[in-house]
Amino acid sequence: MPAYPKLPEDSQIKDVDALIRGFERLGYITDRDLATAVYLVVKLRKPLLIEGHAGLGKTEVAKVLAAMLGTLLIRLQCYEGLDVSSAVYEWNYQKQLLAIKIQERTEQTVQEKEKHIFGKEFLLERPLLQSILAEDASPVLLIDEVDRADEAFEAFLLELLSDFQITVPEMGTIKAKHVPYVILTSNRTRELSDALKRRCFYHWIDYPSFEKELKIVRARLPGVEAELGTQVVRFVQAVRQLDLAKPPGVTETLDCAHSVMSLGKRRLDAQTAEETLGCVAKSMEDTAKLKATGIEKMLS
Amino acid sequence: MPQEEPDRSAASIIEFCQFARDSGLPAGVQQTLAAIEVAETIDADDRQSFVFALRSVLCSSKEEWDLFSKIVDAFWSASRSRSGAASGEGKEARFTTHRPKPSSRALMAESDAEASPADSEGKAVSGASTQHRLQSVDLSNVPHDDLDALEQISLRLFRKMSQRLSRRFRIRNLGDRMDMRRTIRRSIPRGGDPIDLAFQARKPRKHRLVIFLDVSGSMNSYSLFLVRFAYALQKHFKNVNTFLFSTNVIEITDVLRVRDLPDALRRLSQRAAGWAGGTKIGESLQEFNRQHGKKLLSRNTVFIILSDGWDTGEPEKLAAELRIIRRRAQKLIWLNPLLGLKDYAPVTRGMSAALPHVDVFAAAHNLESLLSVEKYL
Repeated sequence: MPAYPKLPEDSQIKDVDALIRGFERLGYITDRDLATAVYLVVKLRKPLLIEGHAGLGKTEVAKVLAAMLGTLLIRLQCYEGLDVSSAVYEWNYQKQLLAIKIQERTEQTVQEKEKHIFGKEFLLERPLLQSILAEDASPVLLIDEVDRADEAFEAFLLELLSDFQITVPEMGTIKAKHVPYVILTSNRTRELSDALKRRCFYHWIDYPSFEKELKIVRARLPGVEAELGTQVVRFVQAVRQLDLAKPPGVTETLDCAHSVMSLGKRRLDAQTAEETLGCVAKSMEDTAKLKATGIEKMLS
Repeated sequence: MPQEEPDRSAASIIEFCQFARDSGLPAGVQQTLAAIEVAETIDADDRQSFVFALRSVLCSSKEEWDLFSKIVDAFWSASRSRSGAASGEGKEARFTTHRPKPSSRALMAESDAEASPADSEGKAVSGASTQHRLQSVDLSNVPHDDLDALEQISLRLFRKMSQRLSRRFRIRNLGDRMDMRRTIRRSIPRGGDPIDLAFQARKPRKHRLVIFLDVSGSMNSYSLFLVRFAYALQKHFKNVNTFLFSTNVIEITDVLRVRDLPDALRRLSQRAAGWAGGTKIGESLQEFNRQHGKKLLSRNTVFIILSDGWDTGEPEKLAAELRIIRRRAQKLIWLNPLLGLKDYAPVTRGMSAALPHVDVFAAAHNLESLLSVEKYL
């Protein structure tokens, strides 16, 4: 049993400012608009859909929220072909068969046997069902990269997100004891259906400003020198202007700063930047483009 | 400053939602209710959070997100000036319906030109009706400053269409059969109980789409939109090949394969010579048949020609090449933008030579007609 501090669920979050402070204490620097959206999730228990480019801390929002509320984080990573049996539930067939064999010589009626093998102990709970079944507090349910799942699965999500209930044919409808806090993230590789969007609050997460990004670097890498942090952030912000195929996110900024420190350098000069170029440019074309523009120029 | 503070009463939130709807956000009744609920949650003094909260409720994409801040500015500046000018009327002024903004009025001007002004205002209730109207505007008649709006709508509609299409194809390809032999073989280690079922999948039939797009001078006002149409189709089908032609043929499949459209168009303008030149449909089709016919034409191919049929080449040649395609492809569709005009009849030499060989002859002058292509595929 992990030791979660026992807190009456959302009492610690009085207003948006409290939420910003709470996030900051956990190392997540957030703007007021995102904090407002999360605050609404906490208060109204409606799902929040966060869209934005990769590496800007979409997934992190759910993690930090769970940590702040002191509650369980249940994560469902979406992928193409994700189906009900790996997202919601599955019967443990092997165990069911064993149970049938064991019951063979008992006096039970067929109905009793059937009831037994479709009981809770034979049910394998997958993330979505887990989030509904949570016993003592609302968990945070993170449905990550929902744009990767196919439309059929998206349609299935609708029942869960509007009524917070799941139907298992053999057992009936299961209603959530504690309505989970739901965060969905999407990289926008395809447009989500209007029906799903309508059920969610929406937030678009953009690249951070220079000041905010610097703050993030300081919060996440306390050991970084002020001068180096400023250099790295300025460099990455310049790279973002280049119209690359994969512009670097905040994750890349942190990677870059971390790598420079690990190399034992205290400043980001042209040579160091070139050595750690893999942190910010993630394809051959992007690397070439960066070099053609001139790393020296972007550092200044 | 009392008038800068947004009024939180339900009436003014409803008013704001209506205003947002007029300005192009798809804020329905459900969103309005959610907005009222949200307003009760947020601390009354925190105006900034209140605006952010409204944005979370009313927007559902990046585009709407960007639009929202403009709407907020417009709304509050309008309500400020109103309460300043007509302070005596007080609350009543709040309930007057907003006139649509000039931009959205311009969007409607095209099809409502004859309608009385009162009529056009009455229609401007929701974004959906604007969308509906733009769907039936002739593409060549769209005024310049509305192109953006039209483009957004068309991309959205095309996306919907291609999603529906690809879904249909997928369902048709379902229908796995159980492989009894392997199922029984696998059941042996389980004591004869068939737990692991084995399936035989039918080999999916691959559908192919070939788009043959006329970019000659006479098609000028349509070709840019039709390229977008091709782009949308290509985005959701694996097997689409797109060609441009005027007096010769170039393949642009790879150009349209990039992720975002503006980039594709930029590259296209570098690649395509002969935009807005003359038309030789017959020769172009011959060139296609020689170079790509073997590879691309089969019983699973749907061949779409987008052209107005103004041909400066030989009609006999056109007919002959079309016959070849007709024989080898599953279906030959000719979409003609001019067919949408009232007094157009396909009597040009080229068109009348082509018609006997075409399975489907349909219009392609506005979004509605392009979307209806779906039913022929």
